[in-house]
Amino acid sequence: MSTPPPPAPAGPAAAASQPSNPTITITPLPPFQPDLYQRAWSSTPHPTLPLLATAHAKSVTVFSLATFTKHSALTGGHARSVRTAAWQPPRGTQSKRLGLVTGSFDATAGLWSFDGDKDRDGNGGLEREVRMGDRDTEDGDGGEEEREWEFNLVLEGHENEVKSLAFSPGGQYLATSSRDKSVWIWEDVSNPTGDNDGEDDDEWETVAVLSEHDGDVKAVAWCPTHLANARAGVGRKHYSVEVLASASYDDTVRIWREDADGEWVCVAVLEGHGGTVWGLQWEGKERDDGRFPRLMTFSADGTIKVWTLRVDEEETEEGQQEGDPFRSGFGGMPNTMRRSLREEWDCTAVLPKVHTRDVYSVSWSADTGLVASTGSDGVVAVYAEKESAPEDVSMASSGAENGGAGPKSTWKVLGTVSHAHGPYEVNHITWCKRFDPGAERKGKEEMLVTTGDDGVVRPWQVRIA
Amino acid sequence: MERDLDNANPTILNVSQLPSRRRTGPAARHGPDSKCDSIVYPKHHWPYGASSSSDEGEDDAEDPVDAQDVYDLISTISDPEHPHTLGQLSVVRLPDIHLTPTPAELPDPDSLVTVLVELTPTINHCSLATVIGLAVRCRLEHTLPPNYRVDVRMKAGSHAQDDQVSKQLGDKERVAAALENDTLQRMVDKMLETCA
Repeated sequence: MSTPPPPAPAGPAAAASQPSNPTITITPLPPFQPDLYQRAWSSTPHPTLPLLATAHAKSVTVFSLATFTKHSALTGGHARSVRTAAWQPPRGTQSKRLGLVTGSFDATAGLWSFDGDKDRDGNGGLEREVRMGDRDTEDGDGGEEEREWEFNLVLEGHENEVKSLAFSPGGQYLATSSRDKSVWIWEDVSNPTGDNDGEDDDEWETVAVLSEHDGDVKAVAWCPTHLANARAGVGRKHYSVEVLASASYDDTVRIWREDADGEWVCVAVLEGHGGTVWGLQWEGKERDDGRFPRLMTFSADGTIKVWTLRVDEEETEEGQQEGDPFRSGFGGMPNTMRRSLREEWDCTAVLPKVHTRDVYSVSWSADTGLVASTGSDGVVAVYAEKESAPEDVSMASSGAENGGAGPKSTWKVLGTVSHAHGPYEVNHITWCKRFDPGAERKGKEEMLVTTGDDGVVRPWQVRIA
Repeated sequence: MERDLDNANPTILNVSQLPSRRRTGPAARHGPDSKCDSIVYPKHHWPYGASSSSDEGEDDAEDPVDAQDVYDLISTISDPEHPHTLGQLSVVRLPDIHLTPTPAELPDPDSLVTVLVELTPTINHCSLATVIGLAVRCRLEHTLPPNYRVDVRMKAGSHAQDDQVSKQLGDKERVAAALENDTLQRMVDKMLETCA
């Protein structure tokens, strides 16, 4: 590489973290190596393993979170840029296979696998793969490249660029969204046991094409159903547990659920943003009051909003009297009534405005509840929700004062960093577990990772005083 | 009067009538390549804190970009359907170029400068407005330093769907995808051939 190496990590960007707010320090760590030297769109951490998948140009580079170096790469599968990548939840308990799905501007999604057990005996194959990254020093183009990702399956159907994709929490469904204004839901109909080494048995079927948006669907996200509170809610008698949210160029957000007939229907339209909604994040931390997870949305209008499902006491009681568990008795209900089973979502908070241009990415920590945002202005901001006052809590239990949406929450900015990637736009931010030697609590402590137009993938240490 | 999608008789300004500082434009300070690849795949690496033009070692780092420089960069772009430049057709006009803040007032080299360019297509339902806007955004993002944020809009009332076109041109993801479309890329390349 003829380009000079990146400067020392503690550059001017470090000094930019706000001294005025003593509650948090955001310090840049050495960036992932190698530098990609081209626009990188997003970096997705594996839910449990120390791996990070960064989408850039027509490929994905997987980095080790233990060494901050390249682990492996996915190349040759797409004709145009890869916009996004998502890790496949493990299929079957003994499967050591890693699965990653890529969404590309070539209008397809690709399903890839990496066999962590290949040529290895016994357990811990993946851990060893990750550790091999230690020796895989400088530019990673050397001899370690035999460990390749296999391109297993291409999901075709969208007419234009695929912009986002997400697995449902159990991995049964994959949602993809596109500039063609649609969301597709695919169901995994592969051999569920993961036998036969999981080779060549990937099979997915289209179960729904949702085309109610009036513009590009920029992002899709599934509600985290493992939380007890996610199973409560208005529609629980009438719909299956999975809840999908989609954000669009048409400035709206839509909520989708599967009804008793297996039809995916739009149960709510969230209106309020004054520009493209770039994405959304579900609340992954269980709420003390047992309410349904909230939804955070962020937009080209520079704002970040929080939405809360309205709980209507009467409707809940009605549902109880009906007494029918999901998928029994409801199927015969006429369509006109079904249409009335809409959910009401209210905007219950707007985060303090920090960004002066598009907010491209927000991450809501399931561990700490902290929120981080970034965007076109190159600023990284971290926010915390203020503890609600006692009177607010009583309001929440009565649930009546503002239409059952619960108390309006307030948020404060804990800290910001300007020019997080120098003069460049920052496309993505995510909370991510630390596995590097500098971590105080390996595998538990969270850091931030930002991904920019400069091709730099940068980890940030976040310490709360 | 104008009919159809194309403007058969646009008003054309003589080159000598165009706003000029009567010196060579700043284009020469930048690379000779006028392709758009850098938007899709920016190749240059700007070290943190370094002045954006320091890598060339040229002394015009002391000479901040102004509206005339921006005009010079984009007025020479060819119209996709007429053998004239956007400057000659008054699609690009000097008073419709705004820089905020003025680059001379920047506290540090990483601070953002917003360049707003309002385009006036030759007729109000010009089907090629989006392509023209794409070429302008492409040209500026490639030639201006990375701390410049380029907003290209249709001047209010100038185009039947000006809000729609402006929104598309402001969408980074759509712009990036458009420039991976071979047909569009070729059109834009051809329009930029006349740029210095």
